[in-house]
This record gives sequence, structure tokens and C-alpha cells, in this order.
Amino acid sequence: MTGEGIADPGELPPARFVVDRVHVTEEKSRTRRALSFMRSNPLFSIGLGLLIAFVGMAIIGPFLVGDPLLTNPAGMFSPPSADHWFGTDEYGRDVFARSVNAARLDLSIGLAIALVAMTIGSTIGVVSGYFGGRTDEIIMRLTDILLAFPGFVLALIIVAALAESLLNVVMAVAAAYVPYFIRLTRAQALVEREKEYVDAARLAGNRPLRVAFRHVMPNSLGPALVSATLVTGWAVLTVAGLAFLSVGIQPPTAEWGVMVGEGAGDIITGEWWTSLFPGGMIVLAVMAFHFIGDDLTESRT
Amino acid sequence: MRLFEVEALTVGITGSPFPILREVSFYVEPGEVLALVGESGSGKTMTALAAMGLLPFGIEMTGGDVRLGGDSLVRTGGTVERSAAQMSMIFQHPTSALNPTMRVGHQVGRVIQINQRLGRTQSLEAAVELLKHVGIPGAKRVARNFPHQLSGGMCQRVMIAMAVACQPRLLIADEPTTALDVTVQAQIFDLIKSLVSEIGCGVLFITHDLGAVAEMADRVAVMYGGQVMEESPVRDLLAEPRHPYTRYLLESVVREVDHRVEDIGVDFALTGCRFGHRCPYVHEKCNGFPPLVEISPSRRVSCFLKTEELR
Amino acid sequence: MRRVGTSLLTVFGIVVVVFFIVRVLPGDAAAVRAGPYANQEMIDRIADKYGLNDPIHVQFADYVGGVAKGDLGVSIRTSQGVTGELLDRLPASLELAAYAVVLATVVGVSLGILAAARLGTWVDHLARVFAVIGSSMALFWLGLLLTFFFAFQLGWFPGPVGRLPIGSEDPRTFTGFYTIDGFLSGRPEIALEAFRYLALPVITLAFVLAAPILKMVRSAMIEALDSDFVRTAKAVGVPRRQILFVDGFRNALIPVTTTIGIVFGFMLGGNILVEFLFSWPGIGRYAFDAITTRDLEALQGFVVLVGVMYVALNMVIDIAYALIDPRIRIGSGTAK
Repeated sequence: MTGEGIADPGELPPARFVVDRVHVTEEKSRTRRALSFMRSNPLFSIGLGLLIAFVGMAIIGPFLVGDPLLTNPAGMFSPPSADHWFGTDEYGRDVFARSVNAARLDLSIGLAIALVAMTIGSTIGVVSGYFGGRTDEIIMRLTDILLAFPGFVLALIIVAALAESLLNVVMAVAAAYVPYFIRLTRAQALVEREKEYVDAARLAGNRPLRVAFRHVMPNSLGPALVSATLVTGWAVLTVAGLAFLSVGIQPPTAEWGVMVGEGAGDIITGEWWTSLFPGGMIVLAVMAFHFIGDDLTESRT
Repeated sequence: MRLFEVEALTVGITGSPFPILREVSFYVEPGEVLALVGESGSGKTMTALAAMGLLPFGIEMTGGDVRLGGDSLVRTGGTVERSAAQMSMIFQHPTSALNPTMRVGHQVGRVIQINQRLGRTQSLEAAVELLKHVGIPGAKRVARNFPHQLSGGMCQRVMIAMAVACQPRLLIADEPTTALDVTVQAQIFDLIKSLVSEIGCGVLFITHDLGAVAEMADRVAVMYGGQVMEESPVRDLLAEPRHPYTRYLLESVVREVDHRVEDIGVDFALTGCRFGHRCPYVHEKCNGFPPLVEISPSRRVSCFLKTEELR
Repeated sequence: MRRVGTSLLTVFGIVVVVFFIVRVLPGDAAAVRAGPYANQEMIDRIADKYGLNDPIHVQFADYVGGVAKGDLGVSIRTSQGVTGELLDRLPASLELAAYAVVLATVVGVSLGILAAARLGTWVDHLARVFAVIGSSMALFWLGLLLTFFFAFQLGWFPGPVGRLPIGSEDPRTFTGFYTIDGFLSGRPEIALEAFRYLALPVITLAFVLAAPILKMVRSAMIEALDSDFVRTAKAVGVPRRQILFVDGFRNALIPVTTTIGIVFGFMLGGNILVEFLFSWPGIGRYAFDAITTRDLEALQGFVVLVGVMYVALNMVIDIAYALIDPRIRIGSGTAK
């Protein structure tokens, strides 16, 4: 647009080759970069460290410590010492050994639950988001109904309804988190289905289901994967809570919640170590997942 | 004495050695309108925010001075302390620049209450008067509305009312009409002009529109890549541009030549002139930062070309 | 009005789901009720009496009819009306929940605002760590820890025996809240005792509930403080404190309200653990007993009640939204 009073600037010569330009440079060594990463993401680093420690404990721990089920009535209720780092419980079992074994159980259950919930939830969510219409409405209604139950209560009822087995515990608690994943992937699928590659896939003649699962789903999993870390943490918490009530996982299995439940009565008589340590491990483990998961969610937004 | 002056202002991201704004300098005389012109990303808004002490978290002033009426506003530590009675500002997207949960009358009234120290009811009445004064019909009714109920033009008038209620010595207007209809633009320009002559404040008018510059401004400073390229009275600049970038700019406007294809973006890591990669006269010397040099009483240019007669 | 309709539909759905899940419970309900010395004939008679041998859709229809009238059936374990038992225990749970939510909100909101105002400083980091610990906390472990420390070691608070010292007389019932009823029935010392017994379970719950509130307040405040309109307020001279509370917080209220709703929802379930631990005579405890004794009716009743409360809660929250945000309340385009 020409305004008043703006004169013609005259002919400009064509651009010549650009000369070498000087940059302000900065180099950093590998270790310095790692350290600076840790400093700017302190929480993530702590979480990662904790997680590695726990995974290590879960994998090799049980081979290094004693038998979690070995009873020794003579040595019952001995406080933490050099022999028994976490002391012994009312049956004389070594609390530390039990805690370490419990790590393997709890972490694997938590992971299993998160994976199951994510798989089922994502599938349903993608279907719901991609196909829309009545399918979507029905699925959303059902999800709403499921969400009306507080997660713990739902898991409690289902576990109580089914026979006592690890598999059932996993399925029951996973059921509580499925709606969460449905919502998450559905939202992402809604965004994805407007994108061009979906049209391309459709026009190429793919059947709708194939488009949904082969193309839309992998791209909708982003937020779900990030949430999976958090859900693993919540799952461990829920399973431990149920076990504390002797639902799902029973004594004498070495599981953190079970141990706290068994040790609960002991605190009246002052034996605090039977419940403090296992409970503390729960908190630390879940914290690890939280540190990592929170950081991941924050960096996505 | 100059009303407002920015001298060698340098702004960068905290922790990064590459400056976003480099040695930015310009001034505003009392009662005058200075236009700050440049493409988007040239750093004009950032300059204004720095001067106002409104830099976002993570960006800081690393050098230079900001002076109002001869007094520096910069405190130790590189922060700017400014009161609304010294400088106030209006922004680009008026509807989102107002608090969505507060009625507009209350928002204006609040400013009056704080800056003119009137009581609650008096402020609200004065607010309605002010809304009328900025050209809003049915001001009493409008005052009870929320921002989302008003059009962009109305919201901009509200924001102008708020800025003016501070009775500032300098008003900064950051692309006030870019988000509005062309028909409303002229009205807003007229409004600003009349208010400015009423209050007698100076104006720093930020825009990328050369037509607006021709209409509103007395003097103009041209920016590119966080660097001031040229500063001069409007007529002189339009009649006889001295900086290669200014010539580029005018050429795109006048001849509608599309220079975008040659644009590869600004590289903030460069030590020298930021326009170097697009400049037809670029030379070895341009690896050093060209200072703003006065080439005639009221004109300054940041280019080695004019000072050393490179060919 | 449409919302009421969909809510009722949700409640109905809840009833259906619960009904069918619960029927899957192993163990013959009639046998449980008849007791260990019954023979087959007695079991059959009891089954008949409670309609357990009727086809499933008849049982369901009966149940739904009852629910509509407010009758949630009869507890297999205690032979009392479920509705009555639940209503008896509801005030205890509500009192606990109310104080916990209030405490959690106060702590969460103030820390959240503080963290956002002092973004990046040690205050902020401390608040975030607190939030993470709170959301990772095992309720039952925390309760145990607090009880051990403050009740048994230090003796500041009483042990987990319930709402009042064993053997004390309940105050006259006005609201069901002992802390209020104590004053209302002219026996303030009971109210004070009730506070002492409330302290530990409330703190336990509040610790965990404060975490998501804190997180949400903090992030909502940060977003609000980063917004264009806060920048305008600063540009026209609004003092810092006013910006923080009026511009920042008012606009952060919506996501915060959502979170409080979620928190309430969580509490309806978390209460089972806390009530169990502190021997609290509330609906959570009741539900747990029902589960372990396979008391179908009671369990169904509990879940229906919780579902209804949750749905009602959501409706209240929606109303709150409209009150807070004028954009929801009033449409746009009144003036041009």
C-alpha cells in the first residue's frame, strides 16, 4: 500500500554473495552437559535415580538378601541392627529381605496394571474418538458411569468379587484406570483425525478400522505414554492400599501393603519398624514415578 | 531536555550470551510521537516491555539505560522501576488484554482510583465519563459489561481509557490497531492523537505499518533483528532513506516487491550487524557491530556504509 | 434441566453396573445368612425369602423399584435396612470429609499462591516437593505414622478408637457433626473432645488432598499471571498485591474448582482406608465390613449412595462454574 509522502527509494543493486560471518561460540564437554541437565531438571534426575535404584532392587535384590518367608520365632521383634537392617517382625522374619522382595512384586504389578489399562483404554479411546457419533456417545456415557466410582472403591469391589489371584488384582485395578486412558487417547484421536495423513489413508482405500489402528492410534499414544509413568505410581499405591486391607494380596506374601497391614497393630507396643520401612518404600517408589511423570507432562505443555 | 530516552539497551535470555536486543537507542522529545517500526520479530515490543519493566520471566536487561525526563529508571540489578504516572502502555489484542472476570467500568475505575486517588464511587463515575470521552456510546451501560461482550474496537477504547487515566508523561502504544478492522483503525488513530494533545504526553508508537507511521508520527526509528538501523524525522526518512534495510522496507511497500524469499531469519549469535545476511552492501567490516552514528542534526544511522563510504 | 436428566441416567447406569458386579461375588449369600449350622432346606427357604432364587431380571426390577423409593434393601449381615444404616453413618464420614477438605483447601491454596508469586525460588521448590510427597503418600502409612508419633509417643492426640472416648455419651443429634452438636446440646466439652479425635484422621487426609490442590492453584496462577490482562494491569499501575489476588486468583478459580471436585470424589473412596485405620464409624467402614462379609445388599447400597453423591457433587460444581466465570453466565455480543 502506498501512503502519502513515501518516496521511491530508488534501485537497489542485486544481493552479492554473503561473506563469512563471525559467531559467538560456546562449547561444553559431555560431563558438563550432563551435570547441567541434572541441575536444570533436579526433580527428574532424582526421580530417575530413585527409579533405577528400585528397579535394581527388584531385579537383583531378591538374590542378594535372605528368604522373605523364613520365620524365626526366637528372634521376633528385634529392632533394626547390623544383622537385620530393618529389624524383624512378629514371626521373626527379616523385614529388609521382605521389603526387597516386595519391591519386585509391587513394581511389576504396578507396571502390569499401567500397561493393561493403557492398552485397553487407548484402544477404546481411539475407536471412540475416531469414529465419533453414537459409538462415541455410548462409550463416553459408560466411561462417565465408571468414573463416578472412586477408583479405590471400584478396584475394591471387583477384587472382592473375583477369586483371589494376582491376575485378578491386576485386572481389577487396571479397570479403575481404563477410563482415564480412554479419555486421554480419545482427546488426542479427535485432534489426529483432522490431519492430512488420515485423509490420505482413507483415500488409499483402507478400511476404517485399519485407518484407526494402523494410522491414528500410534499418533494418539503420546499423552498416554507419558501418563503411564504416573499411573504406574498410582497403581502401586492402590494395590498396596488393598493389600493393607488384606484384599487381593494376602499375608504371608511379601508385599509392601501387606507388611504395613501386618505391622499396624505392632505400633501400639512400640515396634515401629515393621510398618515404617515398607510404607516408606511405597512412598519413595511412587515419588520416583511422580518426579519423572510430572516432569514429562510439564515439558509437553 | 528529552522527554524519554533509551540508550544502548541490551536485553537477552537469562543464561544465554546471545542478546535479543542489541544497543538499542532512541529518544522522544516532549509532545512528540516517535514511531518504532520493524517486521514482526524485530524486537519492537520487547524494547517497549523492557522500558516499562514488564519483561517476562527468563528475559532480562543486561545493559544500557532508560531515562524519563533525564532521570534513569534503571535500578541496580538491571530492573526497571516505573510508575504508571510516568509511563503507561496499550497493547495489541485488546479483548484478551482486559480481565475477563471484571466489568470494564470497574477496570477503568480501578485505575482512576489508584492513580488519581479518588474514592470508590467517585472513581466509577469518573470512569463512565472517561469511557464517554474515548468515544464509547452509552457509556453507562457499557461500563457494566464484561470484555467478552464488547467488540475489539470497544475494548481498545477501554484500554486507551485505562492508559490515559494514569495521566502518564509517556504513552506507549504497541500495534494498537493491528488486530482491528481497517475502518476502526482511523478512529483509534484520531482518538490517540486528540488525547495526546489534551494530556500533552509523548508517544512511543510501535507498528509495522508504514502508512500509520506517515499519519501518526513525527519521528521514526527503524528496527531489525533487535538492532536500531535508522532514526530520523519521518519526512526525511521517507524522502531519503539512508540505511539499506530502510530502503528494502520502503521498496516492499512502494513497489510491493516481495523480499521474503531471501529472508533466512535472524541469527542472534552473530557478532556483527544483524542485517548482514540480507544486505547487498555487506562487507568484511560488518562483522563488527556498527554503532548508531549521527549523520545530520536529527538523524542517526547504524551502518558502516554511511560513515566510511563503502562501495 | 437437561443436566438433571443425564445425571439421573448416570445414576441408573451406576445401579446397573453395581448390581451385576456384585452378583458375581463368590459364596452363596443365602448360605452365609443361614449360618454355619444350617442344612440345605433352611438355606433354600432363606433364599426364597430374600428372592435369591428368582431369575436375575426379576431381582433387578425389584431392586430398582426399591431404590426409586429410597429403599436400598436389607443388610444380610445385620438384618437392618441398608438405607437406615448408611444414613446413620453418613454424618461421621461427612464430618471427617468436610474438615479434611477445608484444611486441604486452605493449605493448598495458600501454598499454591505463594509458590506462584515466588516462582523459581526455594519457596516454590519446597512447595512442589511437598506436592509430590503428598500425591505419593500412602494414606494408611501416613495415618499409622502420625498415630504412632503423636498419639502413642507424644500423647497429644488420642489413639484410633473412633470419634469420641470409649464410653462417652453422644451429644443430641442436630447436624450429626459432633463438633457442632456438642455446642448445640449445651455440652461444649464433647465438641472439644470430638475435635481431638478428629485431628489425626483429618490431618492424614488433608495432607494427601492438599497436594493436587496446591499443584493446580500454582499452575493456574502461573498461567493467569502470565496472561495479557495481568500485563495490562501492571502497565496501568495496579499494585502487586492486588494483581496477585484479584487478577490472578479470580481467574485461577475455575481450574481450582474442578480440582476441589476431583478431591471430593477421591475422598469418597479414600475414606475406606482412613475410616478403617482410625475405627471411624462411617460409611467407608460399613462398606469394608460389607465386602468382607459378602453382604451384597449393603455393598450395593453403599455404591449407589456414593454414585448419587458424586453426581450431585458434579452438578454443584457446574453451578459454581457459572457463578465464577461471567463468560459462562452471560453470552457474548451484547454491545458492539
